[in-house]
Amino acid sequence: MKIGSMFNDILTSFFSAPVTENYPFEKPETADRFRGKLFFDPSKCTGCNLCSKDCPAKALEIVILDRTAKRFVARYNVDRCIYCAQCVQSCKFKCLGMSKDDWELAALNKELFAVNYGKEEDIAALLERFALPKTEPVEKV
Amino acid sequence: MTPITALLSIMFFPAGITLILSGMLYEWADRKLVARFQNRIGPRWYQPLADTLKLLTKEEIKPHGINSLLFYGLPIVALTGALTAALYSPILGLRPVSSFPGDLIVTLYLLSLLTMCMGLAGWNGSSRFSLIGATRSLTQLFAYEAPFLLALLGPAIVAGTWVIKDISAYAETHWMIFTQPVGFFIALIGLMGKLELPPFDAPEAETEIVAGALTEYSGRGLALFHIGKSVELVVAVSLVTAFYLGGIGNPLLFLFKTLVMVLLMAMLQSMLTRLRIDQTVGMWWRFGALLALFQILILVLLKGWLA
Amino acid sequence: MTTETHLQRAGEILAPFVKSTNNPESNRLDVQIAASDLPAAATALTDASWGYLAAITGMDLGVESNELEALYHFCEGAAVTTLRIHLPREGCPEIPSVSDKIPVASFFERELSEMLGITVVGTPDPSRLFLPDDWPPDVYPLRQGFKPEQAAALESAKAPEPDRAGNRFIVPIGPQHPALKEPGHFEFTVDGEIITAARMRLGYVHRGIEKATEQRNWIQNLYLLERICGICSHTHTSAYSQGVEKLAQVEVPQRALAIRELVAGLERIHSHLLWLGVVAHEAGFDTLFMYSWRDRETVMNLLEELTGNRVNYSICSLGGVKYDIGVEQSASIHKALDYLEERIRYYLDIVTTDTAFLQRTRGVGTMTYDEAIHFGALGPTARSSGVTRDVRLDAPYGAYKRFPVSIITDDRGDLEARFVVRMKELLVTCFTIRTIVDNLPSGEIATKFPRKIPAGETVSRVEAPRGEAFYYIKSAGGESPVRLHIRTPSLCNWTSVINKAVGHQLADAPMLIAGMDPCFSCNDRMVTVRKNNVSNTLTWSELREYGIKKYGQRK
Repeated sequence: MKIGSMFNDILTSFFSAPVTENYPFEKPETADRFRGKLFFDPSKCTGCNLCSKDCPAKALEIVILDRTAKRFVARYNVDRCIYCAQCVQSCKFKCLGMSKDDWELAALNKELFAVNYGKEEDIAALLERFALPKTEPVEKV
Repeated sequence: MTPITALLSIMFFPAGITLILSGMLYEWADRKLVARFQNRIGPRWYQPLADTLKLLTKEEIKPHGINSLLFYGLPIVALTGALTAALYSPILGLRPVSSFPGDLIVTLYLLSLLTMCMGLAGWNGSSRFSLIGATRSLTQLFAYEAPFLLALLGPAIVAGTWVIKDISAYAETHWMIFTQPVGFFIALIGLMGKLELPPFDAPEAETEIVAGALTEYSGRGLALFHIGKSVELVVAVSLVTAFYLGGIGNPLLFLFKTLVMVLLMAMLQSMLTRLRIDQTVGMWWRFGALLALFQILILVLLKGWLA
Repeated sequence: MTTETHLQRAGEILAPFVKSTNNPESNRLDVQIAASDLPAAATALTDASWGYLAAITGMDLGVESNELEALYHFCEGAAVTTLRIHLPREGCPEIPSVSDKIPVASFFERELSEMLGITVVGTPDPSRLFLPDDWPPDVYPLRQGFKPEQAAALESAKAPEPDRAGNRFIVPIGPQHPALKEPGHFEFTVDGEIITAARMRLGYVHRGIEKATEQRNWIQNLYLLERICGICSHTHTSAYSQGVEKLAQVEVPQRALAIRELVAGLERIHSHLLWLGVVAHEAGFDTLFMYSWRDRETVMNLLEELTGNRVNYSICSLGGVKYDIGVEQSASIHKALDYLEERIRYYLDIVTTDTAFLQRTRGVGTMTYDEAIHFGALGPTARSSGVTRDVRLDAPYGAYKRFPVSIITDDRGDLEARFVVRMKELLVTCFTIRTIVDNLPSGEIATKFPRKIPAGETVSRVEAPRGEAFYYIKSAGGESPVRLHIRTPSLCNWTSVINKAVGHQLADAPMLIAGMDPCFSCNDRMVTVRKNNVSNTLTWSELREYGIKKYGQRK
């Protein structure tokens, strides 16, 4: 017959600090392998698109502006991504990785969720194509 | 006491607004202590006040097809009962605002009025959960009320009077926790039953019957019941402290003593599982009532022998 | 008895009904029988105590063959016997019920009839299990011609009226209730505080995953299946990877299998600590809830360190695992396990000695050995009644031959026994994890894996923290599976809860439901608005319009 079997725990906790983490005032340490936001290195990409084929959430798309000149832009949808890192796995050239620190990704504006990765001039060229007025036919890549 | 001072003391200090605020203070202390026992941070000091204000601003939804008078009136009656009971108890370590012969019984009755109003409100509700909650609430009332009353009667018998003011005055020189430990124990546990604190919170078991008798209440009605419960906490703890832990002397010391009581209750709350209603009733009628009767018997015999 | 002898015995038992047999894999026997012979065949197997009914899979074999197929899988140790019944696709295909002998079959039969349109004659409860009541009547999702547009809700559908005859007082627990962590509907008829009858309805979280797997390639399915459940996610991916690897005939390196077992063990710790907290909360013992969930953080942080995420670890890949365990991680594992073992021993002590807690759990929901077998219970729920049913013991898969676990059973069968079994299992798991970490086989962590899996079908069974998860995977040589049937363990444990609830107090009902560690996995529903005894069933869009109209008027 034992009443109050958790008495020791209770007493210890009363005299020690609570375990609650003080987020958002103190950002917690994440592990090295933590899967945060995706980042992309266009210099190693070959445009094989295995990453986007295997993405379960259709969050990644490699737009090939010029295959021989190695101009690739990765269009990444932060809100669609499920952070599974399958693309990182599928890429044979190690172009992709998931950030350890960038994981506070909530936003009030949906436009912020469509992220383009690549060289500056490539991204500009891509956006130009999308910004064409509707009457002109869009050039096929 | 002139009518003006009486009115002021009823409305502002020490009853009325001050009482409601101190109710929130005690409730906060209880929640914070339980949280600390569970290794959490717990709410900030203004949480119960914020909760009450929020509830007062919310829409009150009355379920279809129930008695409106009861629905709107019962919270008011409940809160009134609790506030009135405070007039005769030594809250905040000050002498009771008023007193008359036999006010111990009236105070206890007024405190039970709150529980009975909750039971009636639950019966009036249209959902299954409120009916079951009301039944459990009233069943529990029958269980702990008698032992609790007997535990408070112990000091009354020894002091030789039914007036709370005089019992507290007598208790200032006699610390009855040492002379009647069993009575104190019953009073402490009975206090937890009265306030429906775990392990006696079967009437409002969140995981079984949503919120018990108060399931259908929202907005103002719920806020009033809530305030009533915290006022009941202050009054009941003050009574038990005044009787057993050395009466009213220094208000600060009294405050400290009541907070020690709250600490004890928080400790018991954290350590015990909720009892089923049949187990609650069984335990009270088997152990609680017998122990209380035993204590009273001893007191009566001793008093007769010593006199 | 070895698997071959089991299969031989099954062949002998089923000899009078056999139309043709086949051994698609070394541990499986496929027996074609006629629909009319089904009850006799099932009875023959049950009477000879050959295994238990693990799942009933329904398949549409396509418009060309014009046939449906129903597979009844019975498992004994590592041997799986499947009774295959071919049914015509057109008209009203019928199959007799086996639920009079095997009560758990009634859930499977309901799923079969609503998903494929096979009428099961004689089933005790023909109502829908997963699909909502306003689903159009002749539309069967798992048939091959199904298009999502066909699933438009019916305008005139009515929810089945609960039986209001007589003076019965019905307490609904769910779909919205603080006791339930996920929605489900339980109707308890009470008399005072005693429960006199119980009914349940699932389907509130149904997401159509089985159909969705047919439209995704083999790699994408890994992540879809992982998200069936948050606390058995690794089990689902292991079962799937295992099955697909068997179909592709790829041998996974030993190191990868050991890492899979290690993560499975950590997941088991996570799941059982979570469960301990949940049941303690149902009982009103919030302190135990807070402390066990505090300790669960240790496991989750460890898993984050090993795999990158606290839940949904995604460590399995087809052909191995994604992340290796190095020296640093091994040290963290040992440190975390030191802390956890001490806490688990402490919790075991609490649940067996704390008087107040024991009052709520001792003698409550007692299920005898025979009842457990009859109701088809699985996992710790069955093991706490003395049934030694554990896939890791019966049919060791992955690295379990190299790193076996000892099986914990308890004879009492009440709620307390379920606590004891789960806590002791955790102690065994901690020991196994330490052994694996100290003896990790060297080698690669993954092998090359084809993108197109050769045609075939396979059965994959894995022990989830709740019981046996049963996967049936069929490939036609393409980039996606043709049929993926998943039978989660909680589906088999419901029958025991419903039958045991009767006679207990209402206060015990949430504990009983939580005591079997349910993991609800099913569909979205509508709302019934009752006004003056006239009930009106609204669909989701109607409810939305009703809300907009009502609150718009109040300006």
